[in-house]
Amino acid sequence: MRLLQKLKRGYNSGSKSHAKYAYTVSRVRAMKSKLLPKEAYPRLMNMSIDEITRFIGESGYKEDVDELALKYDGVDLVEHSLNRNLSVTFRKLLNISEGEVNFLIAEYLKEYDIWNIKTILRGDYCKASKEEVLEAIVAGGSLTYTFLSELAAKGSYEEIISEFEGTEYYPILKDYDGTNLSDVENHLDKLYYDGLFVVAGSSKSKDRKLFAKFIRVGIDITNLMILFRLKKAELYDPQMMDLMIEGGLEIDLKTIQKLMPFSFEEFINELEKYSYWKEISDLVSPDMKSLIDVETRLKKHRLKSAASFSHVYPISIVPIMDYMLSKQNEVNNLRIIVRGKAAGLDDDTIKEQLVI
Amino acid sequence: MGAKDVKPTRSELIELKKKIKLSQGGHKLLKMKRDGLILEFFEILGKAKDVRTELDAAYEDASRKIGIANAVDGTITVKSTAFALQSKPEIELESRNIMGVVVPKIESSSVKKAINERGYGILGTSSYTDEAADSYELLVEKIILAAEIETTIKKLLDDIEKTKRRVNALEFKVIPELQESMTFIRLRLEEMERENTFRLKRIKG
Repeated sequence: MRLLQKLKRGYNSGSKSHAKYAYTVSRVRAMKSKLLPKEAYPRLMNMSIDEITRFIGESGYKEDVDELALKYDGVDLVEHSLNRNLSVTFRKLLNISEGEVNFLIAEYLKEYDIWNIKTILRGDYCKASKEEVLEAIVAGGSLTYTFLSELAAKGSYEEIISEFEGTEYYPILKDYDGTNLSDVENHLDKLYYDGLFVVAGSSKSKDRKLFAKFIRVGIDITNLMILFRLKKAELYDPQMMDLMIEGGLEIDLKTIQKLMPFSFEEFINELEKYSYWKEISDLVSPDMKSLIDVETRLKKHRLKSAASFSHVYPISIVPIMDYMLSKQNEVNNLRIIVRGKAAGLDDDTIKEQLVI
Repeated sequence: MGAKDVKPTRSELIELKKKIKLSQGGHKLLKMKRDGLILEFFEILGKAKDVRTELDAAYEDASRKIGIANAVDGTITVKSTAFALQSKPEIELESRNIMGVVVPKIESSSVKKAINERGYGILGTSSYTDEAADSYELLVEKIILAAEIETTIKKLLDDIEKTKRRVNALEFKVIPELQESMTFIRLRLEEMERENTFRLKRIKG
């Protein structure tokens, strides 16, 4: 209900949406031009960690590296700088947008709010220190760092949850009894995807249909990966249907219900009917040991499909989403290179994980 | 005990004979124990080598998987996910006896868990995290197994060394000294008998 009210509010304030889109999109275009070109990655692959830190410190991440250099060094400095930059960038997007576009961006960035709520509850669950919890926070959504720090300092989960009274998270959080953390986490994540699905499917305009397609491909990929993980772990419990998200483009809940009792082999045979199969067919086999490559390939597919239609409607939510994904991808790629090098992974393994 | 320190009496001779018999019996038993322990040791050594190789492989795999999870999901994600761990592995320590050597028997529970029992939500995590957790669970299992086998080997080695020292002490020190003392007493008693006979003859004469 609250979601629908917000949606309505979004529409009302978005009556002059074209002009607002034009402003936000032109700002986003300028921001996109500052992203690292794809030629930079092979160069980064040949650099040492210190050289990469210096490279990042001289690029768009300068302010973040300077800010955090006193607290962290080496790989940690790079990772925290990347996360800080991502939070600042997404917050900037929220600040430069209004009306419908702001609402859509905020809905998309709820992923970070949910992530932070989960982290704070996890921290409380294992009695981690406030500093440890704050280190694991990425304030990229609408919940501010100050608010999150206050939450992290609370003494009990009841106090944390009471702060969310009146929000859409409260009905889920109030069921947390200090032991059922994974259920609460799953419900929060589901709330995010369900919310996105409602938002995406609520408009009939062509650009929003494209946005909906992008969201629904994401839902398909998330559902597919959950199915892969459940099958690999030999979990066929029908109760696992609770984890599945409604609104997939090709794979709806009815299909998932049908796939649920299948063994791993039957499941991959069934997958051949869907378009995602051609992306992963060379990696999937009944006796495969790891799902890492499948997940990476599906992620790449999602990014590729988003990039492919970002130019179709230049003044719409699509280029903004494309930028957000590209920015997230840049941060991921830089982290993969730095962390991969620090962990002593070979170049081929690192390259396999990169999405360029 | 030097041969010269003993009293050359018949009762001492009987006592020494008893001691020699006991020492020889002990020596034989300890030799058998030593040989038995060595056999047991070689049997476990094979297992230990296999477990060590498996442990090294599991460690390498776990390091690679956590490296990938840290790289792709980020250390922040991995750290936050680790906070959610529901039940910590429990280790129960028992003991068993191999030829008098008390060795540990380690039983573990809650090490290997299904993805829905780890405590983190499935929806918000990835296969990178799953596989890192899987490989670390396997690593912990291997560490527990290696700890049991390697401690057993260490204890067996200690006991083999101790038994070997005892066997050698009995064989080269205790038994020869007892035999030397016995020979000394026997010779001394014979000598005393001869002296007695001579003395008696002189008194008669």
